[in-house]
Amino acid sequence: MTAATLTRQPAATIRSDARLTFGRILRSEWIKLTSLRSTVWSLALIVVLGVGLSLMIASLGSALGGEQAVADPNTVLTATTIGVGFGQLIAAVLGVLVITGEYSTGMIKSTLAAVPGRLSVLVAKSLVLFTLVTAVGFVTVFGSWAATYPIFDGQGTAAGLAEDGLAIALAGSAVYLGLVSVFAIGLGTLLRSTAGGIAAALGVMLVLDTAVSLLAIVADWVSDVTPYLFSSAGSAMAQLPFSDNPDQFGLGLLEPWQGGLVALAWTLAAFILGAIRLKRQDA
Amino acid sequence: MIEAHDLTKRFGSKTAVAGIDFRVEPGRVTGFLGPNGAGKSTTMRMIAGLDRPSAGSVTVNGRPYRQHTAPLREVGILLDAKAVHTGRSAYKHLLAMAATHGIGRKRVREVIELAGLESVANKRVGGFSLGMGQRLGIAAALLGDPATVILDEPVNGLDPEGVRWVRTLVRGLAAEGRTVLLSSHLMSEMAQTADHLIVLGRGRVVADASVDEVIARASGTSVRVRTPNLAGLNRAIAGPDVSVSTLDDGAAVVTGLSSEQIGDAAASAGIAIHELTALSSSLEDAYLSLTADEVEYRSTSVAPTPEEVAR
Ligand SMILES: Nc1ncnc2c1ncn2[C@@H]1O[C@H](COP(=O)(O)OP(=O)(O)O)[C@@H](O)[C@H]1O
Ligand SMILES: [Mg+2]
Repeated sequence: MTAATLTRQPAATIRSDARLTFGRILRSEWIKLTSLRSTVWSLALIVVLGVGLSLMIASLGSALGGEQAVADPNTVLTATTIGVGFGQLIAAVLGVLVITGEYSTGMIKSTLAAVPGRLSVLVAKSLVLFTLVTAVGFVTVFGSWAATYPIFDGQGTAAGLAEDGLAIALAGSAVYLGLVSVFAIGLGTLLRSTAGGIAAALGVMLVLDTAVSLLAIVADWVSDVTPYLFSSAGSAMAQLPFSDNPDQFGLGLLEPWQGGLVALAWTLAAFILGAIRLKRQDA
Repeated sequence: MIEAHDLTKRFGSKTAVAGIDFRVEPGRVTGFLGPNGAGKSTTMRMIAGLDRPSAGSVTVNGRPYRQHTAPLREVGILLDAKAVHTGRSAYKHLLAMAATHGIGRKRVREVIELAGLESVANKRVGGFSLGMGQRLGIAAALLGDPATVILDEPVNGLDPEGVRWVRTLVRGLAAEGRTVLLSSHLMSEMAQTADHLIVLGRGRVVADASVDEVIARASGTSVRVRTPNLAGLNRAIAGPDVSVSTLDDGAAVVTGLSSEQIGDAAASAGIAIHELTALSSSLEDAYLSLTADEVEYRSTSVAPTPEEVAR
């Protein structure tokens, strides 16, 4: 246990091309993300809540509704994505914690000492979390679809994945969850505080919605803004494409692909603000 | 090799590091010594690119830290505050840090062994004692087998065995030709570990010399003299930095000259000396006298600043 164990000329256990690369930073962030219990718990909760709620709604529906004997993709979609509303909150908290957990523990100093360029850390964190959360989103919504299929089948309202672009809508909701987590990383990086980051993320996703709909009562034009809110964009991503489903027009949502772009814009905005503070300010 | 030029850091109106120049040479242990708040940690954070200098610059092996393609191989740093996520195991922490540079499990296990952390490597860091946290920080600093090692107050929280371990470790690292910079606010600790000292007070370099020189300079400044011809001696040793005060017993205390200098001056002026004693002071006294004007927080200070509380 003395210095003698360390040999001056490059330690034999270190490869000669040991240096920073983006791929290695990605790997480091993957290890970091998956080695925290909070990550595992949050992701498991998204799946369990998502599938559980879907099963509940589907069985309630079957208990109440009569026999329709017509495929009903909209009802199936509503039931299978019911958990996404909660999932987005969990994804937001997880995204904030991924970065503010580093600030509150001091870990960020180790991270930035290893990767002094800084931005690549933020990009890597975002990519890794986006991939993981989106994958978990896929498991959740497609799992919900599969789990509720027998129930809807019993009513004769079951809808296959190909029906009316159902698969696209389910994929949209999964990608939305991934975007929410990156949006939250951006806010967490900007605010460097867990409480602040969570408040800001939930504020944008929940409070802003309510505020806008209240304002819309007094000022009519405000309702034009509604479809461009982050969570409205998310709802738009998780609906059936208009071409397959003309009655969606009444809901005042954007087309799914437009919703995707709006959600992406919110995510990038938060990410860029966070990146600026990360790059400019002392660790 | 670390080189700082006019390195300055201001936090708002407060100047933490006030335009310092220094050089940390390879092959020896350089001690960064100074009372709390002197600016040691801030300087070290600037070396590692964590804090941006308000003015001036600092380079490691000729380049700003951020420009190195393999920073962990260049510099290993242990920061003063814990810099580890409490929810992760020591092993995973080291593995994640190593992964950024493509350093593998073998090396991770090696530094775990080196730091004596085998038994707790798979435990979450949140439950670590201060001493184990320090060992983990040192293990992390050595991951990249770096040419330069910077340790901020490494013996904080270590038991005597741990203190001895750090001392042996850093001496060994320097003997291998590495650049070693370690900070402490304790002179006694430094005297046993360092070859060279950079003494910092209130963000300024107060002394930059070998340990022996610093001790001599600080403790040799006060000499007790007894002579029948005090007026003559006064003239013989007069100088801008020299002051003489008379004691009740007839002896005088000279500050600003060593006993050798006084003795020589007296001899060449033909003045008899009956007593000539260097007033030896302890290491801590020497250090205190060096930084006396530079101490920011005295023990009488009532309330800590908010930043202190935060840390
Ligand atoms: N992030 C910061 N914001 C404001 N003041 C700071 C910050 N970091 C350090 N300081 C101040 O800078 C001075 C030097 O601190 P520091 O470098 O920690 O000293 P040392 O490590 O020698 O004890 C102190 O007065 C401290 O309060
Ligand atoms: Mg300090």
